[in-house]
Amino acid sequence: MAQARGRLWVIVWLGFVLGILAWVVARQTSAVVTASELEERRNERRVLEGRKAQLLRRISTAESRAILIPRARALGLRPAADSELVILEALPGERR
Amino acid sequence: MAKPTVRLRLVQLAFVVGLVLLLARAAQVQLVQGAEHAATAASRRTTVRDLPAPRGTIYDRNGTALALTEQRFHVGVASNELRNPEADMQLLARQLRLGLRDVRSKLRERWAHFRGPYSSLDVQPLRQMRGVHLNEWEYERFHPHPDLARGLLGRRGVPGRPASGLERILDSLLTGTPGQAVVLKDPSGGDLESPSRLSAFPVPGHDVWLTIDADLQEIVERALADAVEQFDAGGGDVVVLDPGTGEILAAAWRGASTTSAFASTFEPGSTAKLFTASAVLAHGLARAGDSVWTERGRYDLNGRIIRDEHESGWLNLRGVFRYSSNIGIAKFSHLLTPELQFRMLRDFGVGTPTGVEFPLEAEGRLRLPHQWSGTSSVSLAMGYELAVTPLQLAQAYAVIANDGVLMQPTLVREVRAPDGRVVYRHRPRPVRRVLPGEVAATLRTLLRAVVYEGGTGETAALTSYEVAGKTGTARRAGPGGYSRTEHVANFASLFPANDPQLVMVVKLDDPRETYARLTAAPVTRRVLEELLAAPHGPLDRARLSRSQVSVTSAPPGDALPEPWVVPWPARQTTDSATPRAIPDVAGLTLRSAARALHAAGFQVRAEGWGIVAATDPAPGKQAAPGTVVTVRARPASRTR
Repeated sequence: MAQARGRLWVIVWLGFVLGILAWVVARQTSAVVTASELEERRNERRVLEGRKAQLLRRISTAESRAILIPRARALGLRPAADSELVILEALPGERR
Repeated sequence: MAKPTVRLRLVQLAFVVGLVLLLARAAQVQLVQGAEHAATAASRRTTVRDLPAPRGTIYDRNGTALALTEQRFHVGVASNELRNPEADMQLLARQLRLGLRDVRSKLRERWAHFRGPYSSLDVQPLRQMRGVHLNEWEYERFHPHPDLARGLLGRRGVPGRPASGLERILDSLLTGTPGQAVVLKDPSGGDLESPSRLSAFPVPGHDVWLTIDADLQEIVERALADAVEQFDAGGGDVVVLDPGTGEILAAAWRGASTTSAFASTFEPGSTAKLFTASAVLAHGLARAGDSVWTERGRYDLNGRIIRDEHESGWLNLRGVFRYSSNIGIAKFSHLLTPELQFRMLRDFGVGTPTGVEFPLEAEGRLRLPHQWSGTSSVSLAMGYELAVTPLQLAQAYAVIANDGVLMQPTLVREVRAPDGRVVYRHRPRPVRRVLPGEVAATLRTLLRAVVYEGGTGETAALTSYEVAGKTGTARRAGPGGYSRTEHVANFASLFPANDPQLVMVVKLDDPRETYARLTAAPVTRRVLEELLAAPHGPLDRARLSRSQVSVTSAPPGDALPEPWVVPWPARQTTDSATPRAIPDVAGLTLRSAARALHAAGFQVRAEGWGIVAATDPAPGKQAAPGTVVTVRARPASRTR
């Protein structure tokens, strides 16, 4: 009887220790997975930022006068002269 | 021999003492030396790495990013770890933009290092490649507008290359605080490829908003580059200021000898006539209508011959400005004592640095009166024997625009901490009152006459809004005296003349056409015209629209066919010219309708907005040119 109780205790303690170990390993594994996911997200963010920077440069180059004015001239356009501009003042209460 | 019980007690005591000693040692190791041992253990299996902090962003006044920070990588490749060396080498060569032969030769070694640096886009396809290591990275400056304001922004310092420009002067603000990360080490001391643990986050630097307007800056840079090329000039500078706040809206410079528009000095010539005129008017020694005899263009002043380009007789101060008469201003300068003249020049800021946030600002040159020669007073009146930077000249002309108050110029509008908190915001800082407001107003009319009454600045004239300004062409000083062939041409202007929003100084070094009226003044006109046509920019258009338009004829050489410019809101006027039919503008946008009615010679009053539904008078009715046509517009959805 006493021997059986002793075995039971050993099994319970062993189970307890194994349970704790499994819990620690699971937590560590989860931490490593989360850390690598975080690293992946960081990489994705870096790539997106790089793409954004590249697009910003392309947009600003395309919008620059150095590009637009020669193209406009080729289409027969020119920058408006000051005499061709009329600045309309909004009347009081008028929606803009 | 002791009794067994005594011996047993002794053994027990020895065990207890031993146990106590063991516990004491354990306590010493764990509690007293625990931290030290833990640190030793950590240092053997981990290492702390500094994480660079991103530098703050530089924006223009409207939030357009001018200088950003981008993460860049160095690529390390362990050759023996590559799984498919031939294919991997081709991918490496493609992504790193290197020749296949170079990559192959580098990969013959056990460890190949490609310094780059490479963008995250470049290295992304390499991340999954076995043998590629991207542990080293750094932040690099990135300019979305690669050529815009490069001299002004400057560059950050790196070993062997000093910092310059705003990156240098704002370095302490832009630099962030590096962070720290802990990574695992292998037994040989090398880094293990393991997730790093951040122990301190890197804190980015402060973001800085400049007073510069990116659109105007681009216009100015292009106009200056074209002018330098067109006139075969050695270089040039342009500075544009907001006179009310002292904010520098654009600053550009070109040429090998030009360090910056804040550091290169020059003798301004006739643009300095303003200072003498200010002194005589402010001290009540003369009025704008007072005249002097200008000797028909040749004046012998105690053996020194002074000449005028325009041979005139009697000229009042207005005429002296209009024709830029050296003889006239020399005679007006006789009314001043050296002390009065010196004080006025000093009050305008000549010879003192402005305090702008830019490295190596020059203070210019203005000698003390006791160092002057007998003719210094006349020389100073004509813009010689003193030197200014383009910024100082713009600051001085801003006094006239700002009703007599000198403002401190600035390049920094706002500074924000990484959390968005505003840590600095520029407030306009008056330095001193230089002139009474009435004198400044009188001087504005003199400067307007230079452009609109047949003066030397007529090539800067616009048709719709008035420009006021003064030309200056000075011989360049060299070691052997003044050059007969090399000149500096400059034009200082206020726009619009009656309610200035901008002060601009254009300076060209030794242009082929020599005179400022043929070189610097047309550049001013081009910049203003492009700025008016630009969709954005620093002009307050509501304020501009209220500026009185009093120009009735196009400036000489203006080949534009339709100078139809009307004040707005329109005033009822009548014209005795032949009546004509009101055009049918129904269905057009308000803008197109206004343009069509202006082209037909009518003035326009708008009611509502959107698509034109009707006009009063009705289409087809006869009306005199200049008649105000009321255009009733509605939003597009309501007219359908």
